[in-house]
Amino acid sequence: MNNSFLRISIWVYLAIFFLYLLGPLVIMSITAFNSSGFPRMSPWECLTFQWFGELFQDQRILNGIKNSLIIGLGTVVLSVAMGLAGALMLTQIWPKLRATYYTIIIAPILIPGVVLGISTLVFWDRINRMLGLGADSFLSNGIFLTVIGQSTFIASYCMLVLVARLQRYDVALTEAALDLGASHAQAFRKILLPFMRPAIASAAVLAFLASFENYNTTTFTFGEYPTLTIELAQKVRYGITPAISALAFIIVALTVFFALMNEAKLKRQELVAVARKNATVEELAGKIKLPSFFAGNMAAVLLVVFAVATITVVGTAATYNPGQCIADIREQKQLEAEQRIQELRKQREERRKQREAEEAEQGGAQTAPKPSNNSGFGNVFAPNSLDGSETEGEDGVSEPESAPSNNSGFGGVFDPNSLQGDE
Amino acid sequence: MPQFLKEFFNRNGTGMGLAILGLVLFWTIGLIILPQLSMLDFSFRPNLPPPEIGGPKDVYTLENYKYLIYGPEGGSQDYNTVDLRVFFRTLVAAVCVTIFNLIICYPIAYYLGQSEGSHIRIFAIMLIIPYWINEILRAFALRIIFGETGVLNTLFLGLGVWDTPFDFIRNDIALYAGLGYAYILLMIFPMYNVIESLDKNQIEAARDLGAPWWRIHWRVVIPYAKPGISSGCTMVFMLSAGALAAPQILGGPSSLWFTQLIYQQFNDNNDWPQGAAYAIVLLVTCILFVLAVMRLFKVNMGDIGK
Repeated sequence: MNNSFLRISIWVYLAIFFLYLLGPLVIMSITAFNSSGFPRMSPWECLTFQWFGELFQDQRILNGIKNSLIIGLGTVVLSVAMGLAGALMLTQIWPKLRATYYTIIIAPILIPGVVLGISTLVFWDRINRMLGLGADSFLSNGIFLTVIGQSTFIASYCMLVLVARLQRYDVALTEAALDLGASHAQAFRKILLPFMRPAIASAAVLAFLASFENYNTTTFTFGEYPTLTIELAQKVRYGITPAISALAFIIVALTVFFALMNEAKLKRQELVAVARKNATVEELAGKIKLPSFFAGNMAAVLLVVFAVATITVVGTAATYNPGQCIADIREQKQLEAEQRIQELRKQREERRKQREAEEAEQGGAQTAPKPSNNSGFGNVFAPNSLDGSETEGEDGVSEPESAPSNNSGFGGVFDPNSLQGDE
Repeated sequence: MPQFLKEFFNRNGTGMGLAILGLVLFWTIGLIILPQLSMLDFSFRPNLPPPEIGGPKDVYTLENYKYLIYGPEGGSQDYNTVDLRVFFRTLVAAVCVTIFNLIICYPIAYYLGQSEGSHIRIFAIMLIIPYWINEILRAFALRIIFGETGVLNTLFLGLGVWDTPFDFIRNDIALYAGLGYAYILLMIFPMYNVIESLDKNQIEAARDLGAPWWRIHWRVVIPYAKPGISSGCTMVFMLSAGALAAPQILGGPSSLWFTQLIYQQFNDNNDWPQGAAYAIVLLVTCILFVLAVMRLFKVNMGDIGK
């Protein structure tokens, strides 16, 4: 009946959904290459790579990345350890305590990050005071507090990942090792840990990502060690530049790259497994023909396309020079501004004439109101003549470099700051 | 030593047992329980300069909670209308964001859970990628789109839909879109996990018996997916009520989120006890609200997080 209608509406829905999900990221990435001083897509000015250069010279960003890496590492170690211990405990805890215990260790996921940050800060501040340590002690150090605060809830994520695999573990393996004379520590290290390795790896990646992008908790605990996310938030709140888009582009590209790589690897393992299953005996004996890396592996093909595109972009960036285009745009803007000034002047002139005529009609009791301004500057120096730049302010003509040759005699009208539109 | 502890050490050995027990105790008591209790205690104390803490003035008081309801003492108004309005607005907006997310995510979770093919994996990657991008950058991306000279305004001005730029930010549209955007994945995955395990034969049977598609969803899929739906809704509600980055970046200049008030108490006013009290109010209200809604829809606590 209306099956095809349903099908079409599903596809339309999927298209809209993914547009909402991915569209903002694509647009943000594109703005990193526009020379406009405010991150936007239109009007498109010039293709430029200057924002990447600016990004890599920003000391605060670089320092933030360093702090984020240190904190991320600490969080990974602490939360994977606590998550593993928590998961082991969950599998063997006294049944009557199990529900309570589970609620306690799952709660940090649901507690707002702001609350976790505050409670960490307040609690360790109190411990610090009880021990009689000063304000610069280890316990009030930003890195320590951030690692502790983040691990509180990241350990819960790790626990969930680890417990899923732990449930498939056969305890008889450990018992066998113990019977054969291994110590508990040996059995743990040689039997359980290798079994858990894939889950530990994914828990570690998850923990690092969660730590790297955390804002709500960190914003209360970072002290003197702002992470990348904190620095970004401060930049975004107090004026945004395309340099942030450039950073976002790098992160998006890395994410896509790793996601595709992971997918291609999984797909290949799958294909190899299928090939092994279908292989005949003599094929298995030696000349098994494994499928090539790209056959039937869409992710791998995409990965290569993506890598080639990245190399092309980097190659272009090394040789491309948008100077001419930027100069053209600047000239164009200058012309536009000049035109606007001219129009403004004309309007002013007309208004003045009108007023003079009115005054003349009124009987001309007053003397001539103003000496007519015959100098080439018109009324530009009149204090109100710059009002025009206000109406234009939203347009945001913000030029990073100052206008070069300013011989038009309009004074500071072309000073970039006078027209700077701030969102 | 109680029996269960003895068993525990027999099973894990003394060294390993101590390590596991130590880490678990540090996490549950040192990181989860004590800090929350400490914050609770702190919220009942007056804001004192460090030397006076523990002194005679350091007594329990309800002052910080009274402030939220009645405002500063001797203030012009009977109630602290500004803060209370922000508080209720935050809760209502968080509920709206949750419902919005539920509506847009249910179809996709159903689609992903019930169809087969290699394109599903590509869809899953496309879903996860935005989640790996920094929360701040995601809000920043939406700000580029919703800004006064942003993509949407340029598009609609160009098409002639409206003639002056529409201020998405001041009207909070950007904020709601940003909050919805931030937590889509947390809504989809719990629902997807449950719907994936639904036996297709049940849907077939309902269809064979003549049920129209909406009734199949209403009577078969949704009751089955209830635990997933409630987990997703709980997470999205708690996280959007506690969001800080999106309101700071996408919120209009005149509209505040409750977490921003907490942030101001801590960073601008330097009034930690007051901030802690506000945080407690937020936490307790959110938990009570979630529990009430769960009772209303007859969902068990144990189903959450499965």
